[in-house]
Amino acid sequence: MFEIFRRLWALNWAEQWQYRANLLMYLLFWLVSPVVYLAVWTTVAQTQGNVNGLTANDFAAYYMVLLVVDVLTSQITIHVLAPEIQNGNLSNRLLLPAHPVLTQVLVNNIAFKALNLIALVPIWLVLYLLFRPALNLNALYLLLAVPALIVAFGILFLLGSALALVAFWTTRVWALWNFYSAVFMLFAGHFVPLALLPPVLQTIARLLPFPYTLYFPIQLILGKLGPQDIALNFGMQSVWLALAWVIFRLVWRAGVRQFSAVGA
Amino acid sequence: MQPQPAHRSALTARPALPVSGVNGKPPIVVEELSKTYKVADREAGLGAAVKSFFKRKFKEVHAVQRVSFQIDQGEIVGFLGPNGAGKTTTLKMLSGLLYPTSGRASVLGYTPWERRAGYLRSMTLVMGQRNRLAWDVPAADSFLLNKAIYRLSDADYKRSFQELDDLLELGPIIRKPVRNLSLGERMKCELAASLLHRPSVLFLDEPTIGLDVGAQARIRAFLKEYNRRNSATVILTSHYMADVVALCERVIIIHHGMLRYDGGLNELSRRIAPYKIISVHLGGCDDCVLDAYGTVLPGEDETGKKRLQVPADQVPAITARLLAEQPVQDLTIEEPPIEDVIERAFNERAFNE
Repeated sequence: MFEIFRRLWALNWAEQWQYRANLLMYLLFWLVSPVVYLAVWTTVAQTQGNVNGLTANDFAAYYMVLLVVDVLTSQITIHVLAPEIQNGNLSNRLLLPAHPVLTQVLVNNIAFKALNLIALVPIWLVLYLLFRPALNLNALYLLLAVPALIVAFGILFLLGSALALVAFWTTRVWALWNFYSAVFMLFAGHFVPLALLPPVLQTIARLLPFPYTLYFPIQLILGKLGPQDIALNFGMQSVWLALAWVIFRLVWRAGVRQFSAVGA
Repeated sequence: MQPQPAHRSALTARPALPVSGVNGKPPIVVEELSKTYKVADREAGLGAAVKSFFKRKFKEVHAVQRVSFQIDQGEIVGFLGPNGAGKTTTLKMLSGLLYPTSGRASVLGYTPWERRAGYLRSMTLVMGQRNRLAWDVPAADSFLLNKAIYRLSDADYKRSFQELDDLLELGPIIRKPVRNLSLGERMKCELAASLLHRPSVLFLDEPTIGLDVGAQARIRAFLKEYNRRNSATVILTSHYMADVVALCERVIIIHHGMLRYDGGLNELSRRIAPYKIISVHLGGCDDCVLDAYGTVLPGEDETGKKRLQVPADQVPAITARLLAEQPVQDLTIEEPPIEDVIERAFNERAFNE
């Protein structure tokens, strides 16, 4: 199994390296929204002194960490899987004795992530010099963030894959994806740190998987959470990881059955 | 058209192949296999588009209907039929990509559409128009990935690769990015990638499509040799009769999803096209009328040779009459061209006698 991942990594790395210009464009596109929120919220906080207790520095620190966490936990499965399903190319992968999503698509995501991370470094440094947030990083929290980030990626990868697999049934999977992304951005803490959402929305957020994939790791890294909160969040992460696994398996099984029924 | 090799009739006597397979069963057993697609059916135009949005009409397409056959180990069987006959659908069911609507199939003891890892590791499906290789990197990288996916040991991989390299002359082409390869080179790499794990059952869907005559001949020779060395069981579809003549003693013809013929290629031509072609070269008689002997086929070559189509059972009598009544300088008797036989076989009425 390890050998498969090693070979896939070599292949994906080489392939994506060929499309680095493409990748950079994607990164710049993706950067727009967090950087805009970073600029807007720090400006608002500066003019008002604070927003509901959050200072300009709090916002700057939040979004600077968000940039890194988002690259680490996000996934691009739909871009890989939906076209393969729609043009029938998935057939080729179904013929191989290895799960296409849990090997090829997974490694593709990770290789993309690695390249994105490298490209993000200089951009991040420039933004850091511009906003100079006091980050107060702590080794223990950073260490705890490692499993939190891995599980967060796991949840988003499985949910994103399950959603991309809807392409087995409809060619309009992108509309669904856009809706999912908007819900994710709102409840994960992209538009605004979750503490600033109206109480009703905060309650809804807690019932969804999204805050545990972005807001929780950010708050953990920034040292904003007490031991009890950390334990609770890890607990919720585990629940969602298990749920996401079940959802993914069910959709996969039904989807492949559908694919094989209509003409792979 | 390929000339008919003279030794072809010798192939009718099939060599006794070991019917090993699983528990003495032939490796491929298909029983009453059927596949019905539901296809959205709507007329052209905006009105029809709006209507179909609310109420979709479906039409049933019977792609494969109650097809049954068995294939013994080491056989190469040609799967023939016009476009849309159900060939690819059948191959997809046998390789596990499609669930049948009804019927059973057992390949190497597995039910294909359960897609067990053990099954996937012992078969392959090659589609001439599909690309299994990563596009932007050399084929060698895809080979190594397949080595990992099929869990081949270093020794097995090396042996397998050397054999394929030897047969296909892969050489330097596996070090070039796949997108820079010619179609023929890419097809060689595709075949190699699909056979590294030494499958014992091969489903080949148009493996020579789009290739030039030389490349086709090389692929053909390779398939024959692979089959000989590994005693692999092969089902092959092709629109090139040269492929079929060179590789398959037995053909299965399906048309409109139904099995029309299953048997030897020679027997097929005897049954479907029970006639022969007599070519005669007449001395000093350019405008002799030969209509009395048989159907004169259009066109004669520059030497003035005329071609007559004659019912097979009358060949001796007509030949004798020709020799007696006409100034014959040269006379040859030929089998009907295989293209003609197949074309007749695709004609629905052919088997209704």
